[in-house]
Amino acid sequence: MSTALAPASSPFAFARPYLAFARTSFLNLLAYRARYFVGILTYFFNATVWYYIWRALFHEKGDGATLGGFTFPQMLTYVATGWALRSFYFNEVDRELASQVREGRLAMTLIKPVDIQAMTLSQALGESAFRLVLFTVPIGALLALVYPVLPPASPAAFGLFLLSGLLSALLVGAINFCVGLVAIRTTSILGVLRAKYLVLELLSGLLVPVAFFPEPARKILVWLPFLHMNDTPGRIWLGLATGADAARALALQAGWTVALLLLGRVLWNATARRIEVQGG
Amino acid sequence: MRSLRFHARLLALYFAQYAKARLAYRADFATAVLASFLGTAASFSVVLLLFSRFPHLAGWSFHEIVFLYGFSLLPYGFFNVLSGNLYEFADRYLVEGRFDRILLRPVSPLFQIFFESFRLESLQEVLTGAVAVAWAASKLPGLSPLGLALLPLWAVFGAVIYLSVFGILTASSFWIEDRVGLAPPVFNLMAFGRYPITIYDLKVKVLLSTVIPFAFASFYPTTLALGRTSFAPFFWAVPAVALLFAFLNRAIWRRGIAKYGSTGS
Repeated sequence: MSTALAPASSPFAFARPYLAFARTSFLNLLAYRARYFVGILTYFFNATVWYYIWRALFHEKGDGATLGGFTFPQMLTYVATGWALRSFYFNEVDRELASQVREGRLAMTLIKPVDIQAMTLSQALGESAFRLVLFTVPIGALLALVYPVLPPASPAAFGLFLLSGLLSALLVGAINFCVGLVAIRTTSILGVLRAKYLVLELLSGLLVPVAFFPEPARKILVWLPFLHMNDTPGRIWLGLATGADAARALALQAGWTVALLLLGRVLWNATARRIEVQGG
Repeated sequence: MRSLRFHARLLALYFAQYAKARLAYRADFATAVLASFLGTAASFSVVLLLFSRFPHLAGWSFHEIVFLYGFSLLPYGFFNVLSGNLYEFADRYLVEGRFDRILLRPVSPLFQIFFESFRLESLQEVLTGAVAVAWAASKLPGLSPLGLALLPLWAVFGAVIYLSVFGILTASSFWIEDRVGLAPPVFNLMAFGRYPITIYDLKVKVLLSTVIPFAFASFYPTTLALGRTSFAPFFWAVPAVALLFAFLNRAIWRRGIAKYGSTGS
């Protein structure tokens, strides 16, 4: 990655600073790479609990049973792709944004001639690029080695899965920008962010596929953006969403990403007017 | 005995001081409690969603699973109330030099680290867990009265186990530079104790009953009340395991403090 990719005169000159933000975010994380070896274990344990729970539940129903339309190998694959995806789309831009506001460092950000939302999003993508290499790929490989994870349903499914995974990262970046702006209005930012993780784990379908929710909840969930974090890419990998279904899911995923980016803009405009930076 | 009274009084003073500061901003405290409850509710809904549809998990009924999961929130909540400083120990105390201040006082350093701040909002977890246990108990006939009576005490032992294990992991920062260390993956292992141990393979059962004894914190304590007599030896071993790990924790902290050299700031 080089900041010299786009010379000032090129039509892509506007992207230069954002590329630099993504690159810095990548390099900052590289300084803490030891943490990531430990992080691989964390994700492995999370997926492992669910391996045992689903194994016991499927055992109850007998061999070859399906639960909520999933066979046991499909369910395991859903769990494995789910945690691997989470390791990719996860970012802490909300926490960073909130602490910038609280510590008054935001002033330094505001004087930069860049768009703050685009900057935040580039940092999120830089973080995801880093996590992909040191996190997602090793975790995916480890889970596939230890548990009978199914390969993608087809090469096309794999391609669409990658696209959908990338959209997930953008979607989560957009969500976290909004969450960060809401969190700064309280003093218990960490509490709010912790609640966000637990609520999103439920609503994204990471822990339990949407098929297991009661009918009324399912009807609401499919009209919310959160399932596109996990459920959409997961079903595409398994071949449970193909052709027109997959195209529709991807379009919704992209649509939600745009909508939440717009919401973030509105929230930022409302917040920026209220922020007072104290000298110091 | 005098020392116990002294420490109890000190704890009450620490707590009152912290609560006063925290409750000065009521709206923010209310937000924190609400956020904490939302998180607990989300995690709990997963259990309710899944096990109300499939009312048997390896021979455990839906209400038994709610009982077990609800109980697991008691030691977990106590642990969360007290563990805030453990996470920040390396950064706040060792790197920033606050540990010197702790060492100057005539009170056990470990006591000060645990009780200098509280995450009050996590008491919500204890309350939610107690309500869930009470509800599940009302649906389960023939629970052992002795098992029910001992639950609160066993929850405290469970909290001691969690605090000791994370105390030991935190003490490792006296020796190891990387300050995040093994705490996050071990933290995630707590989730294993929320479900019946019978669903796991032998290696997981052994891990949770020995090196990382989380099964003694949240699973075995429920077995007497639920009438699972085959686990009786494990149930009665809970206090011993808690004391053993508490002593281990204390011994390791003593060695760590002996090795500690101030940053001089």
